[in-house]
Amino acid sequence: MRRYLPVGAAALVVVVLALVFANPVALDVLFFMLIYAVLGQGWNWISGYGGQVSFGHALFFGCGAYASAVFALHSLSPWLALVAGVAVALVLAVGIGLPCFTLRKHYFSIATIAVAAIGEIVVRNTDFLGGSSGIEMPIEPSSLANLQFSYKLPYVALALLLFVAVQAATLYFEDSRIGYYLRAIRANQDAAASVGIDGRRWKLVAFAGGACFCALAGSLYAQSTLFVDPESVLSLGISIAIALVGVVGGVGSVWGPALGAVIYIFLSKYVAALLGGSGRGIDLIIYGGLIVLVAAVRPGGLAGALAPLFRKRKLARRKLA
Amino acid sequence: MSGENALAVRGLQMRYGALRVLEGLDFDARAGRITALIGPNGAGKSTAFACIAGATRATAGSVRLFGRELAGVPAYAVARLGLVRTYQIVQTFADMTVLEAVTVGALLRHPRLDVARDAALQVLERVGLARRADVLGKALTIADKKRLELARALAAEPRVLLLDEVLAGLTPAEGRAAVELVRGIANDGISIVMVEHVMETLIPLADHVIVLSAGRCIFDGLAAAALADPAVIEAYLGRP
Repeated sequence: MRRYLPVGAAALVVVVLALVFANPVALDVLFFMLIYAVLGQGWNWISGYGGQVSFGHALFFGCGAYASAVFALHSLSPWLALVAGVAVALVLAVGIGLPCFTLRKHYFSIATIAVAAIGEIVVRNTDFLGGSSGIEMPIEPSSLANLQFSYKLPYVALALLLFVAVQAATLYFEDSRIGYYLRAIRANQDAAASVGIDGRRWKLVAFAGGACFCALAGSLYAQSTLFVDPESVLSLGISIAIALVGVVGGVGSVWGPALGAVIYIFLSKYVAALLGGSGRGIDLIIYGGLIVLVAAVRPGGLAGALAPLFRKRKLARRKLA
Repeated sequence: MSGENALAVRGLQMRYGALRVLEGLDFDARAGRITALIGPNGAGKSTAFACIAGATRATAGSVRLFGRELAGVPAYAVARLGLVRTYQIVQTFADMTVLEAVTVGALLRHPRLDVARDAALQVLERVGLARRADVLGKALTIADKKRLELARALAAEPRVLLLDEVLAGLTPAEGRAAVELVRGIANDGISIVMVEHVMETLIPLADHVIVLSAGRCIFDGLAAAALADPAVIEAYLGRP
């Protein structure tokens, strides 16, 4: 149980922050941090733990966002849209994973870019999905049943709930058979097979599981912005942002994506605003510099750099026990 | 030397284009015994292992594990059926600790992590790596990496164990310890097929020796007789 305590602590921090900085801009930033932490974790399962780097996770984010948008347009319950988004993401993940997981390393990454690009083009050319101009969702009365609220706080609360669930699932995942198997596959798939590990099967499970998180994040995002278009949820830029959140925070670590999301959103929301009109793109330069720094100095990411502090304590505790 | 065949290899053939690595290999490995597969460099020993374990698909031929055909069965499924291999070039899970890596092996028979971890600790105790349980695989010496490979394979609780040069590169003292370990594993009833270069350590250890040369079996019999066989001497030293 002790392993799950940090999740509670993180949730408490978010709650305190939300109540202290109760202005809409700060809550918006908090909301996006949580959404990206969830997206990064969805990426982390297959790409961090499993070592199969995906540059197409926007596709699953888009599944959730578009499911919510389409359901809203037809006055269907947004809660059903959550289920539908997850279902579509699952089907896509399995459909993409089955052929693509025969590819190794970079070839898999390239395939994910291609598949996500196809997804974006298909949506841009489908009238039912709003084409290139996207879907504006009708405004409904503020209620939990409608998943729409006239103020920001409930969205943050829902995102926090999702984040907590995803973190808890990841803690469980990391300390069970699938977590061990994925790390073994990342290290050496042939050696893993020699002790009975079906690489493709476990990669599929991790890919599909992570895709579900991304779809849920996509639905929540759509409910809060009430506008979905290919540029904002399906573009390569979003896929890369998701991957970068995972890389900066630390691949294959429970807290890496959360850390990466805090840094990424902070930079993209605040630095850009701080520097005003003249500073456009400065946040990206800083973020890019950070990635170069992490790659050069700490390939394990920021969480990897902090991990030894915690590990020492853990070892000491084991010796005492 | 009667008894059931753990492994029956028939007409195993492996070709890469025009290159013929294995040309119809036949041999049996008896259950609960140590069978040695030796031969000069390039004889096809490691390729034979890869084909038997399902890591590479043989061009033709049949491999039976306690009577069950393995042709076309993928490597992970072969391991589940009870045949596990180690690698000549050690394939450690670099960023996992020794205990974690062996636990990965143990998870094959014990899906619950805590049970698998206990099983892994027992195997580590047995191969003499328990003290290094919390060290990363990549930080081990060569001898310990080989022990780790053996431990990981043992943790998967095989019926047949293929050992690819577990004795090579060890100091004499380490080699003797490894020989004792292998003998102990065989005494537990696990059938062993080992590929080895070091003849003098292998001959007293093996019950049965197969000598490969240029993809064919040129000797099949008792270990002691192998050293006196003219075909074997010729394969190693050339024609006098």
